[in-house]
Formats: sequence, C-alpha cells, structure tokens
Amino acid sequence: MALARTEQLCFTYPSSAAPALRDVSLCLAPGQVTLVLGPSGSGKSTLLRALAGLVPHFHGGSFSGVVEVGGLDTRRHGPAELTGTVATLFQDPEDQVVFTRVLNEVAFGLENVGVPPAQIERRALAALASVGIEHLADRPVMELSGGELQRVCLAATLALDPQLLLLDEPTSQLDPEAARAVLELARRRGIAVLLTEQRPALPLELCDRVVFLDRGCLEFDGAREDAIGWLGRHHPAFVSAPAPVLQRAAGELVCSVEDVSFAYSDSLYVLQDANLELRRGEIVALVGSNGSGKTTLAKLAAGLLEPGSGRVERRGRATYLSQDPGRYTLRERADEEVGIGVEGDLERARPALAAVGLAGYDARHPRDLSSGERERLALAAVLAPAPDLLVLDEPTRGVDPERKLELGSLLRAADDRATLLVTHDLAFAAAVADRVVSLSPERELVHV
Amino acid sequence: MRPAPAAALLFGLAAAALLARHTVSVAVLTIVLLIVCLYAPAPRRWPYLVGALGSALALFVITPFVEQLPGTVLWAGPALPVVGTLDVTTTELSGALFNACRLAAVSLAFTAYALWLDHDRLVQSAGFARRSVLAVALATRLVPTLERDAVGLVEALRGRGVEPEGLRGRARLLSPLLAGSLERSLNLAEAMEARGFGRVGGTRLPAPPWGRREPLALVAAVLAVVVGALWL
Repeated sequence: MALARTEQLCFTYPSSAAPALRDVSLCLAPGQVTLVLGPSGSGKSTLLRALAGLVPHFHGGSFSGVVEVGGLDTRRHGPAELTGTVATLFQDPEDQVVFTRVLNEVAFGLENVGVPPAQIERRALAALASVGIEHLADRPVMELSGGELQRVCLAATLALDPQLLLLDEPTSQLDPEAARAVLELARRRGIAVLLTEQRPALPLELCDRVVFLDRGCLEFDGAREDAIGWLGRHHPAFVSAPAPVLQRAAGELVCSVEDVSFAYSDSLYVLQDANLELRRGEIVALVGSNGSGKTTLAKLAAGLLEPGSGRVERRGRATYLSQDPGRYTLRERADEEVGIGVEGDLERARPALAAVGLAGYDARHPRDLSSGERERLALAAVLAPAPDLLVLDEPTRGVDPERKLELGSLLRAADDRATLLVTHDLAFAAAVADRVVSLSPERELVHV
Repeated sequence: MRPAPAAALLFGLAAAALLARHTVSVAVLTIVLLIVCLYAPAPRRWPYLVGALGSALALFVITPFVEQLPGTVLWAGPALPVVGTLDVTTTELSGALFNACRLAAVSLAFTAYALWLDHDRLVQSAGFARRSVLAVALATRLVPTLERDAVGLVEALRGRGVEPEGLRGRARLLSPLLAGSLERSLNLAEAMEARGFGRVGGTRLPAPPWGRREPLALVAAVLAVVVGALWL
C-alpha cells in the first residue's frame, strides 16, 4: 500500500501565471528512497511542499488534484496535522531555525507533536547523535557553520521519527564525505525518503527510484537503473562525468598569498602559514571539508579580510561572489543591481546579465527571481566589473547540472583573469579548474 | 538565575521607571540598568545601546522645541506654522530630561532582557501564553539578525569594489534589510508550520527547577513596582 500519493496534482502560486506543477501523479511506497531531479524552477520544491501540506495551506494559490499522506487528504488536513507522519528539511537552514540553542531547536518539533516531556530530551539527543553532532547540543545556533546548521535541521526532522522524510537539497552546504553520511543515514532509517539534489551523482548511487520534473510536468518516473539510461539520453548533464579540462598556460601573477595566518578570535586560528598563487588565465579550485577555512582564504585573497600575519598582494581589481545570493538584492531592478559594481553603467551591466542567461530580466526585481536565478544574478554582479581576480564562493549552490555546464563554459571562456573557485562540488571543480588546491581539516594547503 | 524571574525583575524595574515621579529616581534606575547592560560582551551590546541611548537623547533634544510650557525662557526662536513659537524653557528642559530618562530606562531594561536572558529557557518555562512568549523571543532576535544581514550586504558590496560611505550610503541598506527580514520571517513561518507549530496537544521540554534566587527575584520585581508607584 502506498504511504503517500499524488493524483493529477496541479498547482499555481498566487503570484504566478504559469503552473508550478501540472498533472503530477506519484505513489510513494514505505521505505523507498526517491530522488527528484530537474532543472531550477521545475517544481521539485513545490512537490515536496505539496506532500507536506504546505501547498496549498501555507502558500495559497490554485490547487487541484489529490495529495494523500498516511491516509490523510492534505486538502482537509493541514501541515501541522501531518507533522510526525511527514518531516521536511528545507533548502536554507538559516531560515528555519526557531530557537537559539541546538537542543531546544531539535526538541521543538517533538514538543509540537506532543511527545511526553520525559522523552523529549532523550529523543533530541539521539537524533543529534545520529548525525554525529551530539557535542553541539548546548551550543548557540548562531555560532554554527552552514554545514553544522544543516545537520542540526536534519536532526530536527529525524527526531520526529517520520514515515516520510522530505529533503530539499539536504547536502547543499556539506562536503562530499558529510553528504554521503547524511544520505546513507536517511537510507538506513528504513523510512520513505523523497529528496531533491543538484549534485545528483551521490544520491543516484543510493536511491531506489528517480523522478524527473521539467516545467512542472513529470517527465520520467522509474527505477534507478532505468533512470540512469534515460538521463543519459535526455539530460546527460545529470549523469555524465565531466570531461577533464586541458590545463592552460598560466600568465602573470595576479594574487599571491604568502605565509598568511588568520584568526577570528585570539586563540582560534582558521588559517596558518597558507601560501597560494593565482595567475592570469587560470582557474584554481579550492576544496576541503566544512570548516577547513576555504571561505576565509577566499576573502583574504579578495581583500575582504586582512591577514593576521603574512602578506597578500593583488594586481588589479578583485571581485568576490558571496555564498548567499540573497545579498545581491539592493536595487529594485536586476540591471541596476548588476550596475552597482560598474558605477551604474547599465550598458555594461546588461551584457553581464545576458552572459549568465538572464537576458530580458533587466527590469525584474531581484527578489522576484528563483534561487537559481538569484545565483546567476549575483554572478553577473561580480563579472560586470571585468575583474583581474574573480573569487567565487560556492557558485553552484542551487544550480542545476545543465546550468553548471553553462557556468563552466562561461568561466573557461575568459583567459584574461585569475579565478579562485571555492566549492564542495568536486565534479564541477574537475570540469572547470586548471588546478585544484585542497585545504585539509588541519588547515594545510595541499596542491593536488 | 532562571530567565522567567529575571524577566519579571527587569519588567518590574521598567515599570518602576514609568511609575516614578522624580527625575532623580528614574535616573538612578537608568544608571543601574546601564551598568547591567555594560557587562554584556561589547560586540553584542553596541546596537542596543546606540538604539536605547540614541532615542533617549533624541527625545531630550526635540521635546523642548515642540512643547509649550511656562518657565524661565532660556532661548527664544522664530514662530513656525503648526509648531508655534520655538523656545526652550526650564520647565520644558526638566520635563524632557525626565521623559528621556524614562525612555532610556525602559529601553535598557529591554536591552538587558535581550542580551542576558536565555530566550529558549524563557519560552520553555512559560506556563501560559507560550505562543506570545515565543513571538517575543523571535522578535528579540531581530536585532542580531539584522546586524548579521547588514554585515553580509556590506561584504557583498565590498566584494564588488564598492564601499558604502556616509549616512546616505548606509541608509540605502535599510530597505533591502527590511525586505530581507520579511522574506526570512515568511520562510521561518513556513518551517514552523511544517514542524507542527500550533497543533493541539503540544508538550514541553521540562524546565529546570527553581533555586533560592528565583523567588527572591519575583519578590524584588513586585517590590520595584510598588516602590516605584508609591515612593519614587
């Protein structure tokens, strides 16, 4: 018997003319791990929200069809009633944290579903232990890294012991090792899992079934083995390993980091004696586990941080792309936002928008864009000034594999700048970078 | 001390400042609360202190110009439409000082609440109106969240080679900051609903038991209100 099902599900958000989901019919069996793939804006997150009852109860909009979870029709039973049967992990962990301490955060859902008080702490601690962060139980949430926070949110969903776990890009801020651990944990629990991912290689290894959505329509629904063949024929970017790039001859030195150490507080060094050279015409990928100091090194190279000791020298202009595309929403129009870095020159801003695939988006408000579109807008904002050094911090977060290919081509096309690419996406790094530099957990730079 | 009695004590001090009739009494309460706030870590306390003391100072400066009270005229200015004659009298000045101290005391009581109390435990120990207490706790987080967002926006600007300079440059960040906080609040509301918030029959992580200081704090809170109303 199906644990959850959707039947001819159609949904349109109140502010949108086009449907986000069109005639989607699915059955989810207990214990089955289903991977939902598709381009940005294809309706993956909306499908998860429909199964959580948030669509239409929270979002409003036009809804037709049937969604049933654990025998409850979501038209008559809202999200709060479904909690416990269903647990949802959203894309951005920072936007779903209610409490200031980790233990209270994990306990919140348990309190809401009426778990006996004597059991709440034990279950919350067990959930934290299951994702390997029980030592963080008393830590303030504000002090955690993005990866740690993502695991706290996952623990909060697992603590509910749901029958259906909905995971919306659960590994977007995790290094590959942590991402594998999280996905294997979800699989081991023996509960039904529906997850979306933009780094599909790992979940494709671990899932039972794949669903592919495009513009709200269900294009494919089948077993993992069949899906790999289908994806290879129709959407090869989702399965094919990227071809290794030809290493280009590097030009003059644009940025040198010499014996740099940095600490945010007196005692806690994030970097010690780091050395790195970035030359014109080369793309250097900086990889490493969560908390290894990648972002700090990137900010030092871009001149956003001053080293505690050592020396950073740059020739020419540097621009830095932040991990959070929500920071590129200062103006009312997309072209004006991009124009900030070029003294408001819209003639330079618009080609940059077009270069990232946002031609025709000039007058759109940055906040009206989807998360993938915002990421590209942010990229245009740092490309427009034509920097000598381009520093990109996780530019593929939330970007689908087909867009990643375009981004890779865009980055490879320019040979007049040095590019430092900070990423957890090893496949993207391999496809784009001339050199890979790894920051070990001991914060040593290893040139691969 | 547990957060509930500590919150009650701070509320009592703020109420005493509002009920007191003498400027000296209110000023003493303000100084006590200021000392409490100054013990908080410097990076966290400055936005609250700037807000609390800045608004009190603004009230002190503006009030004499817009009030029309008799007394010794210290300065006489032009007559303006709607506002009337601009002047500053001794009565207006003392009234402005009294009200500015009151505002500072209440703002500093809130600052101490925001900086020193464990809001999670406060929600945990709320015997009734838990949803309201949670709403206040979430609202209290607005200041540090906005501060962090502002740092992020400035960093994104600097990452494009643009330094926000002057009051105007920083004022332009206000609108995106507010829009960002609205967007965040919607996302948070959605996440809370998905986690069963508002469902009937909720339980609570047991609150730690009270020690000796907690009843004393409650008594002190009641005393502060009574003393403020009758003798200060």
